[in-house]
Amino acid sequence: MANVTLDEVTKIFEDESGEIVAVDDVNIDIRDGEFLVLVGPSGCGKSTTLRMVAGLEKPTSGTISVDGESITHRSPQERNVAMVFQSYALYPHMTVRGNMSFGLEEATELSEEEIHTRVEDAATMLGIDNLLDRKPDELSGGQQQRVALGRAIVREPDAFLLDEPLANLDAKLRSEMRTELQHLQEDLDTTTIYVTHDQTEAMTMSDRIAVLNDGQLQQIGTPLECYHRPNNQFVAGFIGEPSMNFLPVTLENGRLVGEHFEYPLSEETRANLEGRTDLVLGIRPEDVEIMDTPSGEHEFPGVVDVVEPMGNENTVHVAFEGQDRADAELTATISGMRNVAEAASIGVGIPENAIHIFDGETGESLHNRDLGDVEGDRPLQGAEAA
Amino acid sequence: MSQATTSERDGVARILPDMSYRRIGVYFVVLFFTAFFLSPIWTGLVTSLKSSGAATTPFLPPTPSNFTLENWGRAFDMLSRGFINSFAMAIPSTLLDVLLGSMAAYGLTLVDWRRQMPVVLLFVFGIFLPYQAILVPLSDFWTNVMPLTKGLIIEGVTIVPPSERWGTLAELTLTHVAYGIPICFLLFRSYYKGISQELVEAAKVDGASITKIYTRIVLPLSKPMIGVVLIYQFTQIWNEFLFSLTLIGSSSDKAATITLILSGLGADLSGVNFPLRMAGAFLAALPTLFIYVLFAEEFAEGQAT
Repeated sequence: MANVTLDEVTKIFEDESGEIVAVDDVNIDIRDGEFLVLVGPSGCGKSTTLRMVAGLEKPTSGTISVDGESITHRSPQERNVAMVFQSYALYPHMTVRGNMSFGLEEATELSEEEIHTRVEDAATMLGIDNLLDRKPDELSGGQQQRVALGRAIVREPDAFLLDEPLANLDAKLRSEMRTELQHLQEDLDTTTIYVTHDQTEAMTMSDRIAVLNDGQLQQIGTPLECYHRPNNQFVAGFIGEPSMNFLPVTLENGRLVGEHFEYPLSEETRANLEGRTDLVLGIRPEDVEIMDTPSGEHEFPGVVDVVEPMGNENTVHVAFEGQDRADAELTATISGMRNVAEAASIGVGIPENAIHIFDGETGESLHNRDLGDVEGDRPLQGAEAA
Repeated sequence: MSQATTSERDGVARILPDMSYRRIGVYFVVLFFTAFFLSPIWTGLVTSLKSSGAATTPFLPPTPSNFTLENWGRAFDMLSRGFINSFAMAIPSTLLDVLLGSMAAYGLTLVDWRRQMPVVLLFVFGIFLPYQAILVPLSDFWTNVMPLTKGLIIEGVTIVPPSERWGTLAELTLTHVAYGIPICFLLFRSYYKGISQELVEAAKVDGASITKIYTRIVLPLSKPMIGVVLIYQFTQIWNEFLFSLTLIGSSSDKAATITLILSGLGADLSGVNFPLRMAGAFLAALPTLFIYVLFAEEFAEGQAT
């Protein structure tokens, strides 16, 4: 157990066509026992970051340290970390037992009995103790995944590094393993870095999320911080499913003027905009209100384009009045019990306390939603009302 | 359409049985090629079983009057020294080739270091080096630079005892090892390129050193390829003639390999004893067949990958 620090870590790959900056000046401080999820679209540098912590890639510059001691120039063999690969990378010629004890035999001085006990214990914990004498190709995907986890657990490392470990599982198993992994990490209390492109995994599992894009760290914070207080338009769009609605607008006379609507702003909100006029209005689908007829100043006439029923909720795509239905800009989620007909004329409400406003050029967040209406007497953990 | 086909059968076709002539054609071609390829083996086999005067009708099997196993016995007696010499030379050189070839391929495929390509090219160049071009320097090297016939003693440990026979065979063995490494390297390299890089990385994170990754992960996974390379390399070395001729010279030499003895078997001033030659050829081919059978499973698996 240890805290892991990445200090100004940069990785540049060179090939014939020139240099590719995979990771650009990333600073992350992972606390002891923390579950940190590195999330971002493919090619954002999250796997490279993880591989640098594992020692499989050498950073071009910057330092990586464990408990304050730099491990930047150590080989993977000299770092006490364990990694789970997306493909599991189980040794096909060894039994499950062989796979799990390999790391202990190579990296530690433990006696055979101690190795045996540790492997048995980890296997029991993961429920694979009856599979110990099988070869990996005789196991199902879920079982292989457990073996890969077991191989990491027996090492009792400073940190677990998991590279999209659930990506090859089917949806049901994935959500089961998600919960199980969380329990496991809580029990073991080992610092964990988890790489995924799936924002659901990031939201549900992590203590903190680090969002990466184009090799740059966009935001690091608790899931709810990232959800409700995004640093920029990228984070706002990446976290949350369905994604936040973005409407390009300009500020004219205290009103946000879009192509098909005009949105009056209150004095307080306007104060946050620092005089910028080229803006993007953001609103989460669950905050968009659907009503029969628009009445207030933040409500607009619209036409329903498509309704996607999910059972518990309906996702409704709405076009503003005067807009071609195929260009529907707005996504709203409403209760699954509420019926909305396609092509129906309705009203859409965009409550001012739920809007985010971003700089149209830089994407920087200028105004985030109000959290004053949070239910219950405790403010949301990690996303206190500003 | 079906009407037209039935009416066509009213002519000559009606008196012929209803079968696919296309299929008969295929069978005929298959049969022809089977006979074509088997004929030398068949001829050799039947000839080897006839007494020496009776070998005038090569395709016919021996009659009870001229059937004899004497040729096989004589051939075996004459080749036995060659068998020992060839085994003494082919087994160590094959094993060394497999080991060194796979080690080199591992080091140049799964281990990351700068400027690998020139070294790889050097190996590939080795494959295309013609035997003939190096014969003179080769014999010169073993005669003047490093004559193993005088024995090889390093730090008091006798590697090769001073002996004409074993010294010469050691020279031949090392020559085969050197000449075999490039092709073994290439075969293993293409196989190792298919091994998942993540396996090696997982082993690294698990704390295994470069040597341990080779002995515990890569080598056990190479089994199919080892089968292929063993068969291929053993056959090559067993059947090789030019190096034997250059380094040993004569079939009467104590170190003469089987191919060298075979070349002179049954040939003297009175003519060629074909039955004896055929029996010898079959005997000499047996070990390679045996190796194929022994590693057939690995070979098939290695071919598939």
